[in-house]
Amino acid sequence: MSILEVVGVSKLFGALRAVDDVSFTVEAGEIFGIAGPNGSGKSTLFNTISGIPFGPDEGRVVFQGQDLSRLKGHVIARMGLARTFQRETAFDTLSVFENALMGASYGRAARGAGAAEVTEALQFVGFDKAMFRRPAAELSVYDRKCLMLATALAMSPRILLLDEPASGLTKPEIEDSITLIRRIAGRGITILLIEHVLTMLLTLSQRLMVLNQGRMLILGEPEEVVRNPEVIRAYLGDRRRAA
Amino acid sequence: MSMGVGIGRREITGMVVGAVVLALLPMVVQDSYYRHLLIMVFIYGIVASSWDLSLGYAGIFNFGHMALFGIGLYTYGLATTLLGISPWIALLAGGVLAALAAALISLPILRLKGIYVVLVTFAFGQLVVQLIISQSDYTGGNQGLVRIPSFHIPGHNLMRDHKLGFYYIALILLCCSTVFLRLMVRSRLGLAIRALRDNEEYATSRGISISRQRLITMAGSAVFTGLAGAFYGAYFRNASTDVFGASLTTLLLSMVLLGGISTIYGSLLAALLLTIFSEMIAGLGAWRPIVIGVLIILVMLAYPGGLYGAIAAAARALRRLGRRQASP
Repeated sequence: MSILEVVGVSKLFGALRAVDDVSFTVEAGEIFGIAGPNGSGKSTLFNTISGIPFGPDEGRVVFQGQDLSRLKGHVIARMGLARTFQRETAFDTLSVFENALMGASYGRAARGAGAAEVTEALQFVGFDKAMFRRPAAELSVYDRKCLMLATALAMSPRILLLDEPASGLTKPEIEDSITLIRRIAGRGITILLIEHVLTMLLTLSQRLMVLNQGRMLILGEPEEVVRNPEVIRAYLGDRRRAA
Repeated sequence: MSMGVGIGRREITGMVVGAVVLALLPMVVQDSYYRHLLIMVFIYGIVASSWDLSLGYAGIFNFGHMALFGIGLYTYGLATTLLGISPWIALLAGGVLAALAAALISLPILRLKGIYVVLVTFAFGQLVVQLIISQSDYTGGNQGLVRIPSFHIPGHNLMRDHKLGFYYIALILLCCSTVFLRLMVRSRLGLAIRALRDNEEYATSRGISISRQRLITMAGSAVFTGLAGAFYGAYFRNASTDVFGASLTTLLLSMVLLGGISTIYGSLLAALLLTIFSEMIAGLGAWRPIVIGVLIILVMLAYPGGLYGAIAAAARALRRLGRRQASP
């Protein structure tokens, strides 16, 4: 049984089909890449899968055999589906430790979760114990991204939805991120990765799906997908029209 | 910055010291009138600090908070006069009913934002007033309830002790309320409601349920507010719909904001200062609310963090000064 099945999912904003009849399955433990030009509906797809702010208008999402339709966002999160956001988000008035504590307290293993899980998650992404007390508002962009990741990991998720983790990062930071994501996958956590940065996408993804204008363009081996002429046209536009 | 949950040793020490000081105060303050002032400080402190929980920490613009106080008051009044229930039980009933009412208000506002919460909660308050006025056969309507029975302590006459008994009852309520609120605020729930206030979508994505946290917060802010209302009924021995009015709401709201939101202690401090200051300038008559209003505006402009923020900043500055002097 696949860990995640997206079946004919659509999301409409008025007449605009931001996500249009998208279907794919994700196997447990794989790193599944999602690419596409800006506005192709990638983040909206993540929104509909995670149910925050709303689930799909058409179709359904099945996570670990359970239909997520009509389930609230926080319930889905507690089932083990965690996501990160394009912008490095944090609870600014809370400390680093408290941020991760929220993930642990309301995540999948909420009942038993405590300081140990929080410390583990924070140290896994590279936070020193000395940083634990710092207010999240004072962190650098990269540290905030790491914190966002740590709070997701503190939830003991089964699947992690990463939305453009490399955006705004320098080259060495991107290298570190790739290593980190590999280590997360090494723990058996399934990963859905939206990314623009090709190196990250190609190094990590075992399969790659490309969206364009809300619709699935192609799904297959990363190396083949990026060489596909339709994909190139979607990103760069039609050369004939430019002339 | 703190590391999660639980009340620290320093705060516990501070609480104990504060409680002891207040418990010994009647030895110095023997005059009935000044004890009465302190009792008012305690009552207002409980109500204001409870409001800080829903308004300050959780960011819920609950404008029905004073209605919860009024519900506690009228529950006590009606339970003792109409139903002949023992004052102590009626006191508890005041707290319970206020909490239930808060849970009820929170249902329509669970998913609402900002100004809509103001409207719904304000409307709720008005609804309660109309209910009281319309059932005037039972509630005394616009005339109010009079001759409400008060507490009875065997072997001690509460009417002839220069308000000593009421002082201690109010003090016990204040201590319990403060401990309760601080425990709530320093728990995972307390962190969760701040997380929701910081970023609602992010909090939801980490498994925090908006509805559930709001419900618990509203009920938590109501328990001691209702108890304070009931105590108010036992102390003054009458009840009127004035407590639902704009002037008391404005006074209590000023205490919450002036003290510094999201602090609990700020509200207590502001309750003390505003009550005392208001008495000191009683001679100014109609100028009083104007002076107080201007003062509040000035303080808030200078210290958006309120009095608590101003004191915390001063403490930080002193510490820095001390460090600089220690290491030349």
